Amino acid sequence: MVETDLALAPVYLPLVGAALAFVAKAFPRKGSAAAKALEYSGAFVGLALPWLALAYLAPLAASGGAVEGVIGGWAPQLAISYRFDGLAWMVDLLGFSVAGAAWLYALGAGPKGPAFTSIFLIQASALAATAATTDLFNLFVCLEVLGMASYVLVTSSEKPGAFLASFSYLMVSAAAMVFFLLGVYGLYRLTGALEYGALSRGLSALPKAGGAVAAASVASVAAAVALRTAVMPLYGWLPDAHALAPHAVSAVLSGVLIKTPLFALSRVLIALPGGDEVGMLLGYAGGFTALAAVLIALSQKDVKRLLAYHSISQIGYVVAAWGAGTALLARGEPAGTAFLAAAFMHAFFHALFKGLLFLTVGTISDAAGERDVYLLRGAGKALKAAGERLPITGLAFAVGALSISAIPPFNGYASKAMLSYVLKGRWEYLFLFAAGIGTLASFIKLSTIFWPAAGTAAAGAKALGREPSPCPVPDPSLAVPDPSLAAPEGAKAAPYRMSASVGLAQALLALACVGTGLAAPAFYAAAVRYIGPPGAYASVPALYGPAELGKTLIVIVGGGLLYLATRTKSGKAVAKAIRERPRGFHGLFAAFCLGLAGLYFWMTYIA
Amino acid sequence: MTARLIIGALFMVGLWALVAKRNLVKKVFGLTILNSAAVLLFIAEAGASGGGAPIMGGGQRIVDPIPQALMLTAIVIGVCVTALALGMAYRLYKATGSMDIEEIRKRLGNG
Repeated sequence: MVETDLALAPVYLPLVGAALAFVAKAFPRKGSAAAKALEYSGAFVGLALPWLALAYLAPLAASGGAVEGVIGGWAPQLAISYRFDGLAWMVDLLGFSVAGAAWLYALGAGPKGPAFTSIFLIQASALAATAATTDLFNLFVCLEVLGMASYVLVTSSEKPGAFLASFSYLMVSAAAMVFFLLGVYGLYRLTGALEYGALSRGLSALPKAGGAVAAASVASVAAAVALRTAVMPLYGWLPDAHALAPHAVSAVLSGVLIKTPLFALSRVLIALPGGDEVGMLLGYAGGFTALAAVLIALSQKDVKRLLAYHSISQIGYVVAAWGAGTALLARGEPAGTAFLAAAFMHAFFHALFKGLLFLTVGTISDAAGERDVYLLRGAGKALKAAGERLPITGLAFAVGALSISAIPPFNGYASKAMLSYVLKGRWEYLFLFAAGIGTLASFIKLSTIFWPAAGTAAAGAKALGREPSPCPVPDPSLAVPDPSLAAPEGAKAAPYRMSASVGLAQALLALACVGTGLAAPAFYAAAVRYIGPPGAYASVPALYGPAELGKTLIVIVGGGLLYLATRTKSGKAVAKAIRERPRGFHGLFAAFCLGLAGLYFWMTYIA
Repeated sequence: MTARLIIGALFMVGLWALVAKRNLVKKVFGLTILNSAAVLLFIAEAGASGGGAPIMGGGQRIVDPIPQALMLTAIVIGVCVTALALGMAYRLYKATGSMDIEEIRKRLGNG
């Protein structure tokens, strides 16, 4: 059967591509035509061909069908099982759209080279595998591969700060994965199974569904995945890693990498007893995250760090609906499908517009040689000086900013309207509404980078004088300056030139933002059909009713007022206090242990 | 029981080193010890069903082979993570001249 063979194509095609790109690294002359051809064909195999497989599988996924199977033809109890269904199809769609655009961008703006392409493709493969696995240990392996690829990609900007960010990310994430392993151990010991279905049957057969051991195991697994998703309080590793990674990598990390584990986790939680409680608590944490992270974002100085905190805030939106939906589905109530579809829709749209924002803001900060949102001015002029004839970057930035601030008819408006539709009447709804005001305010602040430079003379001169001031400057008093690290910085001092693929990647994502915004109701109906059981209900609410538009007006006015408030003296003092709150390595672990313990106590004593 | 206690102690030592030690290499050691504790737990508990080699038809009570297969994978992943972490520690040392994570953070600035 063709479907069975193609279901794993999104996993193995990127691996084949990665192998091709890696062979290109072995060529004696760096950057020779043959090596380039091999690398690009690898990228084509890994990032373009999976689209064909997805297109072929679309009817199957849309009809609520699924390809289930095991790898290697072993007996079902022993083998690694997978399930390629509508959810996996949609997550693959999300992953390959953003990854493709980001790779195009990297082609123009760096990082370049076969090694980068190879790791990038391995990451794409791990994404697809994470989305389709139904084996708990295989989920562990997929998450580790995904993690390792992302640690390397974060450091590919070659900034010393990125190495520190990646090291902290690696340490806390690897430690969390040990707890994941303990969770696997607990569940295996109780049931002798690793496949979700068999685990679920085994646990249900036990008295009290496994009791405290099962609760602790599920909590460990969920906490480790929640760390990858950067839900508060487990978010501490994200801002540095995402802010210091190369722009193309930031786009993929924020767009795809923090969401794929989430949807993989929903499979686990829906299957296992106790999953509904975990989903509920994570959903509450998501609502809180959306609001808290936006306040931190509003106080940031560095443009990319500001975007990184917005990623946390937006993932909070996703998790709020995801948690509620997972809890409902785990209790066997099909109404949860609507929540999960809305969560996926926001995850997908966020991947598009946040990817776009990271790419455009990255381009602008490179072109202007400045990353401080208070100093960076005259972005349009800087882009023109970098050789951009059509103002694609500026327009694309505007599309991204309007999308994330939920202005109709862009896609962020549609997905946030859908989220508030499903979450209406819950208290998360209020949090998300308040977070929307904060989002708008901080994007007004970010848009000031397009203000003409004249107003702020000193900063403007700096922006136009294109001094090479990459933000995370190593301290000049470094004990051992390292030439190999200093070299790329020196290379950047040459004026930044826009390349065609950068413009193309941005234009593609911007068009996707507008297109999905216009087709949002159809997208939502399709998402319900893909995710839900056959015949799941899909009543699409009115997107542009007077109530919805009225709320948007409140958000716009509130956002404007909040922005003005941050410009006052006391507003600036508050922002400074939030921005410079102490952060450290210990905090990451304290937060993880706290989250794990909280989850366990919630499951055992409260829910 | 002894095995469990020793594994628990190893786990705690690893976690302590990972969190409390400021030296990057000691942090990596901590991670490796933590990982080994999880591996040992699986292996020790897999032996609960018997001690024979997992060859079907041998007639004796065999050890559960699945945890062993899982742990082979986990060890490989652990080695990769350790290698990567050491590589990053080396680059950080070259960039800042220090192995102390607080000192490195200070020297790099908070950006």
